[in-house]
Amino acid sequence: MTQALRVEDLHVHYGTIHAIQGVTFSVDQGEVVSIVGSNGAGKSTIMWSLTGVAERSSGTVEIFGEPLPAKPHDIVNRGVALVPERRRLFSALTVQENLIMGGYRRARDERMEADLERCFQLFPILKQRLKQRAGTLSGGEQQMLAISRALMSDPRILLLDEPSLGLAPIVVDTLMETILRIRSEGMTILLVEQNATQALEISDRGYILEVGRFLKEGPGVALAQDPEVRRAYLGG
Amino acid sequence: MFLQTLITGLSIGGIYALMAVGYSLVFSVLNFSNFAHGAVIMLGAYVGLALATKLSLGFGLVLAGSVAGAGIIAVLNERLAYSVLRRRKAPSLYLMISAMGCSVFLENLVYATIGSRFYAFPEFFGRQVLTLWGSSVSLLDMGAFLFALVSIFALHVFISSTRTGIAIRAGVSDMTMCSLMGVDLNRLIAIVFLLAGGFAGVAGVFLGIKYLVYPTMGWVTNKAYIAAVIGGLGSLPGALAGGLILGVVETFVSSYVSSVLRDVFSFSLLIAFLVLRPNGLMGQDTEEKV
Ligand SMILES: Nc1ncnc2c1ncn2[C@@H]1O[C@H](COP(=O)(O)OP(=O)(O)OP(=O)(O)O)[C@@H](O)[C@H]1O
Ligand SMILES: [Mg+2]
Repeated sequence: MTQALRVEDLHVHYGTIHAIQGVTFSVDQGEVVSIVGSNGAGKSTIMWSLTGVAERSSGTVEIFGEPLPAKPHDIVNRGVALVPERRRLFSALTVQENLIMGGYRRARDERMEADLERCFQLFPILKQRLKQRAGTLSGGEQQMLAISRALMSDPRILLLDEPSLGLAPIVVDTLMETILRIRSEGMTILLVEQNATQALEISDRGYILEVGRFLKEGPGVALAQDPEVRRAYLGG
Repeated sequence: MFLQTLITGLSIGGIYALMAVGYSLVFSVLNFSNFAHGAVIMLGAYVGLALATKLSLGFGLVLAGSVAGAGIIAVLNERLAYSVLRRRKAPSLYLMISAMGCSVFLENLVYATIGSRFYAFPEFFGRQVLTLWGSSVSLLDMGAFLFALVSIFALHVFISSTRTGIAIRAGVSDMTMCSLMGVDLNRLIAIVFLLAGGFAGVAGVFLGIKYLVYPTMGWVTNKAYIAAVIGGLGSLPGALAGGLILGVVETFVSSYVSSVLRDVFSFSLLIAFLVLRPNGLMGQDTEEKV
């Protein structure tokens, strides 16, 4: 099977801070893989370096068998879409304009219309909010829009950085179901979560990240039940 | 007399607005005061002057030529003086200092090559006047005002409804995420400078025709900064409103109070706005719901 993403010995520095100290992992096509770890472990840094925003100090990244380009806009054109931590919507723009930006790289054709319809199926509320400014949406709606904006770019791999952040537990449940639904349509997903149980449970495989290094890896469910992991990250 | 003063004020205000939109656009995208904008306006006027005197082109071609010339100059200015700093993620203060340096450099370049002489444009419109309700109104003033109105409205439509326009506003909101939508930021910023420079070219030609062309003529851009603040930095309708208000107030002060007090009034207006309404008339509250 083709690997969607292959990362080997990745290092990232912020000035003198060695944030990522040699991580190696991969995501197969159609897989959901999660990276869990506590605050400051470096989860977001991995996501930003996979999108070209944080510069890699060393290591190789391959996306669908080809080396990752350097510039963010070229990376997007290879089919990588990020839903960043804290959503980072274009808050002064309307919901509709955010979705247009999501599809910026594509031709406006029937396939794009179909993707828009798919977003409305996933999140019907967005259709009623098209003219509303994104900054005035509720937290849950903002997350729906952030995911839709990413899907509008027609990605081959979706990177989700703490999508559950700031959402009520019941909304998190719906979110996890949505992630599984997107996956069942064939999407490859790399998920980063601090709140780990649910993330690991819906993942094929997981990695435990601790200050810049992987501590453990394995099938998602097995990691979620691993006593050591539970003690350290899942609150007992 | 009143109507005449009003039209004169609106025409000066229109020129302020033409200068302010470019300044405001760059400010909202890159978050720094581009103090080289005045120098680009001045160079635009010289380009127009050269086309009018050396090639004897008509007004339309002169305008088009200086729009293109000033647009290209603005893009080059960004490429040579700002993009290096941008790439190093330098604080916006550095960009502003670089802009001041560019302004001094360009003015002195003109002094050194063309000289300090004042030049006049050939008379495109003669001294034609329109008679409206008993007052005579200069055709040039009327035209400058209408042209400013129409071109700024066109820019507004471009920014609010085209894909590139939406991308510019997305960049204002969040540059990094804008690039993650597949937008080439260097290209986007070049487009912003091209637009700002194009408007600087129009302003340069109108200023040159109304007054004269000389190396420090770009200093009048101070008024555009005031207009942009009054209208709300980053807002195009605001830049238009701010420019027109400033132009009208100034003209009325000069003709009914004292022309010496004109600039005192303008800067007082600026200070009043900064204190009472720092977001200006139409500046957006960028507060986010987190
Ligand atoms: N722009 C930056 N400049 C300097 N240091 C940074 C920067 N971004 C992150 N860091 C540092 O890198 C380390 C990893 O940060 P990162 O944001 O990747 O952690 P994280 O695992 O995503 O944490 P959280 O769960 O809180 O989001 C932290 O020590 C952080 O302080
Ligand atoms: Mg993070």
